[in-house]
Amino acid sequence: MSARMTDAEARERMDEITRPEKPFNRFRWTITVALLVLFFGTSLTVDISPSALLALPERTLFYLGLMFLPPDLSEVGRSFNAMVQSLGMAWIGTIIGAVLSFPLAFLAATNLASKPVVFAARQILNFFRAVPEIVFLILLLPITGLTPVTVALALGISSIGTLGKLSAEVIESIDPGPVEAAAATGGGRLQRIRWAVVPQVIPEIVALWLYRFEINIRNSAVAGAVGAGGIGTLLVREIQLLRNWATAGTALAVMVIVTLIVDTISGRVRRRIIRGPQRPVDIGADTLPPDADRDAGPDLPNDPGEAGPRTFAPI
Amino acid sequence: MSATPSLGTDAPRGVRPSKPPPPPFALWGGIGFVLLTIGFSWDWTYGIGFSIPDLISNFTLDPARNPIVAGVIDPVWETMTRPAVIEGFIETFQLAAIATILGGIVGLPLALLNSLTGAPNKTVYILVKNFNSFIRAIPDLIYAVFFVAAIGRGALPGVLALFFLSVAVIAKLTADIVDGIDQGPIESARASGASHVQMVKTAVIPQILPGYTSFALYTFEINLRGSAVLGFVGAGGIGTIFSNYYQRGWYDRLVVVVIGFFIVVFIVDRISIAVRKRLL
Repeated sequence: MSARMTDAEARERMDEITRPEKPFNRFRWTITVALLVLFFGTSLTVDISPSALLALPERTLFYLGLMFLPPDLSEVGRSFNAMVQSLGMAWIGTIIGAVLSFPLAFLAATNLASKPVVFAARQILNFFRAVPEIVFLILLLPITGLTPVTVALALGISSIGTLGKLSAEVIESIDPGPVEAAAATGGGRLQRIRWAVVPQVIPEIVALWLYRFEINIRNSAVAGAVGAGGIGTLLVREIQLLRNWATAGTALAVMVIVTLIVDTISGRVRRRIIRGPQRPVDIGADTLPPDADRDAGPDLPNDPGEAGPRTFAPI
Repeated sequence: MSATPSLGTDAPRGVRPSKPPPPPFALWGGIGFVLLTIGFSWDWTYGIGFSIPDLISNFTLDPARNPIVAGVIDPVWETMTRPAVIEGFIETFQLAAIATILGGIVGLPLALLNSLTGAPNKTVYILVKNFNSFIRAIPDLIYAVFFVAAIGRGALPGVLALFFLSVAVIAKLTADIVDGIDQGPIESARASGASHVQMVKTAVIPQILPGYTSFALYTFEINLRGSAVLGFVGAGGIGTIFSNYYQRGWYDRLVVVVIGFFIVVFIVDRISIAVRKRLL
């Protein structure tokens, strides 16, 4: 073999080199086929007329024009009031959900409760997660009437599932050290939870509540389905009943802007709660004498301190 | 210091150090919370008039006054086999499936561009980020009512409403994992001269694929649940039945459909969670 290859030889050798074949991935293959079958199966059988599909872009643009060109600013006040009412439903609903989910979360955490209790609590949470807001809403309506309070109740009850599940996950990720310390000083079960678990989990759980509030603002539009108040009802009425497109456009703009502003504020507060202040926090440690931890004996208050800067990815 | 002082005898008891005052953030946060809660629950223009005593006095389990209780006591089980109900369930599945697949296709690029890693430059990143927030700020019911008014009742507005919901959910959740991926493969793709698109294809997509697929399945669950409300504004799905029975006050049938819907969602949830565990 000569030391140098001619171009022809080099090309020939390149042709001989074959990439190793990709291994056959049965899982991926099955999923792809299933998806294609599902997509074409459903889209060919669903009740959608091709003419409606063709008219879609033109009609959408036409009605968007009616909504925003020109913008009707005379209805900003009414839209804003309705939006505040929606925020109220979301806020009260989130509080209801937080109060009801908090104890359940402790029962659903594998590191605190026994297996059968965890199983039962998880099934309860799954139940609340599986049922949509609108179902709770129409089931509550005959009892509490067509009012924003009913919407708040429905939002609260349907928040239990997600809040409970995510809170339980936070509780499961705690540092066991403080719990052992509380147990070593003779703390009973409730005392251990109160002094060793709650201080660790409260920042993240409060952040979850705020996150749920942001979701509930959007979910509060469900009131529009039955006409129980808020911006959802205003929009459904103006569009479906009155065909008042300009008013609807204003209401939609108010809804989007307020939602985004509240999101931004709530997101900042959440980050502040999780990460703590940027400078090292003064947890009051230097108010104790240097030897306090040895001298004060068992009466030393259990300082919660800071829950570290754990990352947080809510679903 | 004496070795192990006998606790409780010579150790000074009852001199707990005073509790430090709450930090300003907690203080103002607490005040804000109380004010907002009072403001929102008060019965005025900006509140919803929330009163626990009223709720308790309204609550009743008497079947004569509470149609739900009456419905639960004497449900019309035959409702489950009515053709309209079965069609409603099938349509709900169709809406959710189409919307999830389309939403998944559109949501992936939006998620990639919603991250500084995946976007070619900062302008695109900011534009897409705001676009995603905008889509997410409008609830599915509002999309549905808009499209019903624009193109008429039927399944198409339902698909569109759930499509926007899916795009919002998938883009949001996937963007969060794009931000958190391992930078190593990205650097090696860049070092070997990959263009931006090649880098995304070989270094970003493989890393986010399991999470993305899992979120797509999760979106299918969300769409199934979301489809329950669409029928109230004429956008198809099982909500049409809910709306119908609710308006006629047929709670004895409504209860049956609710139970059926719950079972369907519950089964889909279990399957989806099992597959998602296998993926991650």
